[in-house]
Amino acid sequence: MSVVNYGTREITCKIVYYGPGRSGKTTNLQHIYSQLPEERKGKMVSLATDTDRTLFFDFLPLDLGTISGFATRFQLYTVPGQVYYAATRKLVLQGVDGVVFVADSQKRQLPENIESLQDLHANLADEGFDPRTIPLVMQYNKRDLPAGEISSIEELDETLNFRGVPYFAGSAISGGGVFETLRSIASMVLSRLSAPAAKDA
Amino acid sequence: MAENAKKGSEDEGGEFADFMADISQEIAQRVESLDAAAAPKVAPEPKKTTPMPRDAGLILEWENLADRMIEDMR
Repeated sequence: MSVVNYGTREITCKIVYYGPGRSGKTTNLQHIYSQLPEERKGKMVSLATDTDRTLFFDFLPLDLGTISGFATRFQLYTVPGQVYYAATRKLVLQGVDGVVFVADSQKRQLPENIESLQDLHANLADEGFDPRTIPLVMQYNKRDLPAGEISSIEELDETLNFRGVPYFAGSAISGGGVFETLRSIASMVLSRLSAPAAKDA
Repeated sequence: MAENAKKGSEDEGGEFADFMADISQEIAQRVESLDAAAAPKVAPEPKKTTPMPRDAGLILEWENLADRMIEDMR
C-alpha cells in the first residue's frame, strides 16, 4: 500500500504495467526512461530473451526527488505477458498500488486482452486486493497501426473497461499516451495515500 | 506550499517535466491535507460543574473497608 512515511519522510508507490505478451508494457517503460533527465536516470532493470520478450520483469525506479519534504519514489514494473509466467506475474503484483493495463489494439489480439484482464483480476484477488477498487488505468496501445488492423477505442473500452476507469490511446513506440497514462495512474494512487501509525516513528 | 512544488521541476524539460510539475503539485496538496488531518485537535473547554466539597465521595479508610468486605464474603 502506498504510504506517506512521516518517520523516514518518504513516499513510495508501486505501479505495475500488466497486459498480454507484446502489448507494449516494456515499451512504455523504455519511453519513460528515455525522457528522464540524466540526473534522475537510475538503472532500468530489464531481463529479456534473445527475441526481446520479457523473461522475468522490468523494473524502473523513478526517483522524483524531494517534494514537500518527502523523498518520493515511484517504482514501475512490468510483468511478462506470456501465459506460462503466471507465477512471476503474481509475484510482481505483491504490494502493488496501481495497475496500468496495456491492451493490444489489434483485432486479432482481443482474446489475449480479455484473458490477460481475467488473469489480472484473479491474481489481484489471490494477493488480497479488491480488483473492483484498486487504482487502474487502461491504455489501448498500438494506435499507430493501420486502421483496418485495430479495434476502435469504443470497441475496446466496451469489451475491456467494465469498471469505467480512465483510458488512453497509446502509441508507446513513439511515446504517444505514455506519460498521460502514467500521470493518470500516479494521480489515482496518490489520492489514496494514507498516513499510518508510522507518523510517530 | 502546493504552488512552490512546481519550482523544483522548472529546469527539467520535456514530458517528464510536465509530469513532475503535475505530480509535485498533487503530492504537495496531499501532504498538506494529511498534515491537517494529523494535526492535534483543540481540546474542548471542560464543562462547568457544580463545585463539590474536597472529600466528597472519598473513601477515607481503604484498609478497613477491604477487611470488612473480605469478612462479609466469608
